[in-house]
Amino acid sequence: MKCCTSADHKLLDFVKVKGENTSFNRVLDQQIKCGFGQQGVCCRLCSNGPCRITPKSPQGVCGATADTIVGRNFLRSVASGAACYLHIVETTARNLKKTGEEKGVLKGVETLNELAKAFGVEEEDMHLKAEKVADLVLRDLYKPRFEKMELTEKIAYGPRVDKWKELGIMPGGAKSEVFDAIVKSSTNLNSDPVDMLMHSLNLGISTGLYGLTLTNLLNDVMLGEPVIRQAKVGFKVVDEDYINIMITGHQHSIIGHLQDYLISDEVKKSAQDVGAKGFKLVGCTCVGQDLQLRGEHYEEVFSGHAGNNFTSEPLISTGAIDLILSEFNCTLPGIEDLADKYQVKMICLDDVAKKKNSEYMEFSMEKRVEISKKIVEEALNNYGKRRSEIEINIPKDHGHDDVITGVSEKSLKKFLGDSYKPLLSLIASGQIKGVAAVVGCSNLTAKGHDVFTVELTRELIKRDIIVLSAGCSSGGLENVGLMSPKAADLAGDKLKEVCKSLGIPPVLNFGPCLAIGRLEIVATELARELGIDIPQLPLVLSAPQWLEEQALADGAFGLALGLPLHLAIPPFVTGSKVITKVLTEDLPSITGGQLILDDDVISTADRLEKIVMDRRMALGL
Amino acid sequence: MKRIKIDKNKCMACYNCILACMMEHNEKGKDIYSLDLEDKSNECRNHIEVNHSKENIPIFCRHCDEPECVNTCMSGAMKKNPHTGYVEYDEEKCASCFMCVMSCKYGVLKIDEETKSKIVKCDMCENRETPRCVENCPTRAIYFEEV
Repeated sequence: MKCCTSADHKLLDFVKVKGENTSFNRVLDQQIKCGFGQQGVCCRLCSNGPCRITPKSPQGVCGATADTIVGRNFLRSVASGAACYLHIVETTARNLKKTGEEKGVLKGVETLNELAKAFGVEEEDMHLKAEKVADLVLRDLYKPRFEKMELTEKIAYGPRVDKWKELGIMPGGAKSEVFDAIVKSSTNLNSDPVDMLMHSLNLGISTGLYGLTLTNLLNDVMLGEPVIRQAKVGFKVVDEDYINIMITGHQHSIIGHLQDYLISDEVKKSAQDVGAKGFKLVGCTCVGQDLQLRGEHYEEVFSGHAGNNFTSEPLISTGAIDLILSEFNCTLPGIEDLADKYQVKMICLDDVAKKKNSEYMEFSMEKRVEISKKIVEEALNNYGKRRSEIEINIPKDHGHDDVITGVSEKSLKKFLGDSYKPLLSLIASGQIKGVAAVVGCSNLTAKGHDVFTVELTRELIKRDIIVLSAGCSSGGLENVGLMSPKAADLAGDKLKEVCKSLGIPPVLNFGPCLAIGRLEIVATELARELGIDIPQLPLVLSAPQWLEEQALADGAFGLALGLPLHLAIPPFVTGSKVITKVLTEDLPSITGGQLILDDDVISTADRLEKIVMDRRMALGL
Repeated sequence: MKRIKIDKNKCMACYNCILACMMEHNEKGKDIYSLDLEDKSNECRNHIEVNHSKENIPIFCRHCDEPECVNTCMSGAMKKNPHTGYVEYDEEKCASCFMCVMSCKYGVLKIDEETKSKIVKCDMCENRETPRCVENCPTRAIYFEEV
């Protein structure tokens, strides 16, 4: 069987034995790539095309150069990615507003109070307070482009806001900014690559502050704040004695009611009546990471996080999944055929993630009880129908029991004694050389599933650089054991000592890609404590195995924040000399950020370490 | 010897063969990201034309059994390698008379765009087992076969 090489060999062995048609073998049939696509110089915007740039044809039919074509394509990608995250925050804010209106449960009161204080909301009643906070977020999202969003300044770090104003990239209404990015990048409109690049950074800001940061915080209000704890991860979390609902997507608040409902006595009894012990939600993709992060609040119903984006297909082929709930990406189209084969019922709760064989139930807070009941009914039916016909084969040796999870900007601070000072002292003394955020997705092309992420992380911790992770990268890192305390042994002597004394792993698990927003808060707090701007911190960012347009929007945020951003695969821009030069050479003097393109693990680690050391020196450390 | 064969009906004019050739002969590195698509000095050795019926016609060097380019070359720059069977070009010996270009009945050979002094000629990717253009053709419109 043809198969991509994976860092997670236990999973790879399982994939080979099962022999199912998954991304792991389809990737080999897609090995021949289109070079014009890779360089970003294929234009399909009008019917004179597709046009491609070659030495003999340096312009498209319309006259667009490589710079213009790349600029338009890049802006469209970032706009799509931003749109995805803005959809998530919109859903989340709407759900919070409704929770407030209906006097629902608010599990994260501390976060609600903090948000209200930051936004200037004065309100005693907690439900009204939640409504007002949600309204402010929605109002900003729906503003026209010519009106700047009001909360941006209230949640971003001051020196950054000044810089963004100076550059003219403060975002207007976020959804309108996406809209105009599409207009701008259409045929025969904007042809200025630098203007389009700056618009991408603008989109990055609203992606980061609203799509990421605020989504987390609004979810914390409804679903509970992360608490540091140990958890089980990998395929071993799946328990065939339960009716298993695999979740895939990014919008935790859509699952909120269901997770409480599944452990109600009536539902537990209904499961027992058909011969199961109860219901379990099996974590998959980022929404699984979100459940894991807040798992303290849902111990009974959440079985654990099984894996990241490309793990979802093998997970279905264990045969233990009875129903799949999708509400966003990374819900691979490849799961459809497997779900049919293993007789897994698919239900979609948001039509943006409608799979062709799923039943669509439009989620709304008003209909949440009805929807949860219908999901339970379908799961019970399907469990009864399929279990006698499907063989179950769960690789129980896959995963770990002691992954440290629940790390957030708040829980980490609490852990450190209600201050980031201890972390800063460790950095100042050189016990920890610096901080690297290794984030983003996994793809099957940058050396293979999780391979680059895992190898780079190993290399960084060896050099006493502590790694924080969020996104599918954290799914890979936890499944290979790097987020377990025992991984301290893999770190350099100094970092090892820190980890052993604190009982922490050298790689900290912030959970889903949304939590890149939490990493930004950590960076801001460290900078604030030191009285410096973010680009001065000995902190680097890498999304080695970026996969989707969303990752590019995240990346644009990182660059706007002034962070060095490494990618192993270029974001389809290298066909433009102007854009490549601005991103890789000029950006340090614009935002302070810098794009680093490198497909070699060691040289990437060398370059990131050098940046950390240079910044230490500049800070006099 | 092996030759690159063509099935024109499968050609979608994706130009992957052209990029493959340029990557393989790029002095700045052999990966796609090192390739400067605007660099006129890095020319591909193959090309795709459109015929009267608007069909895509990939044009590749056939390394003919009796190559006219070799027969007409007066300086000895164009030679048939007796061991490999490939027609090789030596830029140093080339007198830039371009008789080879005129004599090639398949229209493969071309004069370089930038200096107009040398021939751009397929070398079968010298050190590779299979030419890179063949490896990069997604439809198998060009393939490598023993003749």
